[in-house]
Amino acid sequence: MIELYDFELSGNCYKLRLLMTILGIEYTPKMIDFFPGNEHQTDEFLEINPLGQLPVLCDGEVTLRDAQAILTYLATKYDESGQWYPVTDPARLGLVNQWLAFADMITSTASAARLHDGLFYHWIDINKARAGAHRLFQVLDEHLWHAEQDGELWILPGNNPTLADLACFPYTMLASEGGVPLTDYPAIRRWTDRFKRVPGFIPMPGIFPAGTA
Amino acid sequence: MISSTQTARAQWYPIAASADLVPRHVFDGMLLGQELAVWRADDGFANIWENRCLHRGVRLTIGLNQGSELQCQYHGWRYANRTASCSYIPAHPANAPSRTVCNKTYPVVEKYGLVWSLLDQGPTFPEVAALEGSDCTPIRAIPINAPSEFVLTDLSNEVLNISDLGMFTVQVSWDETVVMTTDTGLTMVFFAQPVDAARTIIRGVSTAPINGTVLRQLNHALNRLRRRIEEDAKNIPQIDPIEPIHSSVRAELGTMPDQLETGEASLRVVVKEKIIIAEDVAQFSLTPLVGQLPTAQAGAHIDVHLPNGLTRQYSVTNGPGESDIYTIGVKKESQSKGGSETLHNTVQVGDLLSVSPPRNNFPLRRDATKSIFVAGGIGITPLLSMAKTLHSQSLAFELHYFVRSEDHVAFRTQLDALGASVILQIGLSPNETSGQLGAIYSKPDSTHHTYICGPGPMLDAARAAAADAGWNEANVHFEYFKNTNKIDDSSSFEISLARSAKTLRVEAGKTVLEVLRENGVNLMSSCGQGACGTCKVAVIEGEVDHQDVHLSASEKSQNSHMMTCVSRAKSKRLILDI
Repeated sequence: MIELYDFELSGNCYKLRLLMTILGIEYTPKMIDFFPGNEHQTDEFLEINPLGQLPVLCDGEVTLRDAQAILTYLATKYDESGQWYPVTDPARLGLVNQWLAFADMITSTASAARLHDGLFYHWIDINKARAGAHRLFQVLDEHLWHAEQDGELWILPGNNPTLADLACFPYTMLASEGGVPLTDYPAIRRWTDRFKRVPGFIPMPGIFPAGTA
Repeated sequence: MISSTQTARAQWYPIAASADLVPRHVFDGMLLGQELAVWRADDGFANIWENRCLHRGVRLTIGLNQGSELQCQYHGWRYANRTASCSYIPAHPANAPSRTVCNKTYPVVEKYGLVWSLLDQGPTFPEVAALEGSDCTPIRAIPINAPSEFVLTDLSNEVLNISDLGMFTVQVSWDETVVMTTDTGLTMVFFAQPVDAARTIIRGVSTAPINGTVLRQLNHALNRLRRRIEEDAKNIPQIDPIEPIHSSVRAELGTMPDQLETGEASLRVVVKEKIIIAEDVAQFSLTPLVGQLPTAQAGAHIDVHLPNGLTRQYSVTNGPGESDIYTIGVKKESQSKGGSETLHNTVQVGDLLSVSPPRNNFPLRRDATKSIFVAGGIGITPLLSMAKTLHSQSLAFELHYFVRSEDHVAFRTQLDALGASVILQIGLSPNETSGQLGAIYSKPDSTHHTYICGPGPMLDAARAAAADAGWNEANVHFEYFKNTNKIDDSSSFEISLARSAKTLRVEAGKTVLEVLRENGVNLMSSCGQGACGTCKVAVIEGEVDHQDVHLSASEKSQNSHMMTCVSRAKSKRLILDI
């Protein structure tokens, strides 16, 4: 049985809950009280992940940290359709990896701003975090707007969403909790609505389900 | 700054591209510091509303566009397309929301591929000569962190060089608009939307369709401009954001109980369509002479004032989203006292009628696991609007429609659209009807609700069938066409008005309602015979002599409300909560 070291309010943990639910993978959550309990800094947890970060996933002999890394592992191992992480198509694979790195940049900006505003991470440079998030969202909105003009629905061309969409979605959706509204990014807001309608989608606190299409 | 903001509030600006408003989506817009929730209903109408739920102030942009209603994400309050009036409050499923619960709407014009609005009263929408008659194609909007005057000045001095199109040079420029033309004849018009004091969106429209490559080149060119303007804007002193103006709650909400509004026929409507849809049944479609009709909630009725001086009540058959028209069904009564006969024989397409705003004394709950509608004849009208409402939300219902013959089936097309949930019960004898009703109500369930409307005997039979099967009275809702009880007005008694601090005498032969009105208490009423429930008031003390058909037996025994148009007092005195 897969075990996920999980925290309800973490967008990075949510990425894994989301993919596993969409793919129908069963797992056991092991709840870590990140806030206010600070359990990710206990000796016990640091022995599991010396970086003291969530999420961590254990699947038999395999123990992995880093949300994006775990996503690629789960999709490669469990997604028989290969649509979420197209390992056999080098060009698409490169693009997905490019956007996975982009998702990590969203974490270090938009998510950092949210930690500052919501979970009292006062040492974070809030102006820098917000400005960084806006730079990324300009790029993403522009990309998605032109994709829409070409009749595309997702970050990569084609009929189905990929890990690129799944990884970028959570902290984009939660950005307003860190004082980064999406008002200037209408194409992003439409894309998040579309992603919420992917079969198997689940919400998290701050991310609501979409209505019927 | 304040005076110029005031001027700007009365000016039309683009706030979105038409293509931004995709189905079942809520667009997040902003103009002059005012947040806007912008959504396109399934009928194509673009709603521009203040981005705030009237209940707890939550942004409606995180809400759900349900096609004909916008639903707040927080407590699920639903607001109707076009009018923005609250159509349903999940925490009060048995009550119809007051019509005064209505969100702030802004005017909308869709033109040149853009959605336009203004915040205060202003001129009619001005044409943009350069775009008239052309195949307008909006390019990607560019948000810029700089004041709009600043952006416009820089844009007017700009020469866009697009490799596939050549050089764009500024041809004309004036207030808030910059027009550029290439040597090949393509024109681009740029508008600056003042989002806030120091934020602007450039919205460009081309006079001809352009392909994806050129769209990208234009986007790059405008990004270069954006970076330059934002760099320059760093040198200007910081400007405070514009303080948004929140529409305040209407004063009457805090002072007067709803029922004391005068119930006059304040709406003028034109008969747009009159068609015979079944044996002796005419359908009238009524459109407003000016402005917009208030939203009719499922189960609501209107008073129709007829040319011969009579007033009649008709249920509005509208479903959600049918908000620019009232559709009513009128059965020609064989014993007509001149109401249905006038509508059938005299009133024609194009005629002007006075009607009251819709009132809802037959509200529909949307929290039942299943709703069972039982209609007899023309009693289909309120139940049709209810069925359409549940159907639009994919909520479970059955609609049993008892009619004399196939020819008596009204609203056939609309019923067909509701699919297998509609069950026609055609040509049954009274005994067969009772048998069917017994079957329909055979499985009482506390989470099921039933709504009955039809002729008196059939309605009585349905209520009896439900009661016999063990249905809880609170789950059985009904509306009679008329009160056939003989009204006994021989008593005389005193009424004391707790809020108005008045004590009045009701003599034999006069109704409570008449005495109230003679003494300046303008209580609303509609049918005047104890059927519709409009003149209901709360009773604080005293024993009521109920003579209406609106309240259920248990409601009557609770002695907490009365219909002032027919009911009287058994005790010497009643204390009323008005």
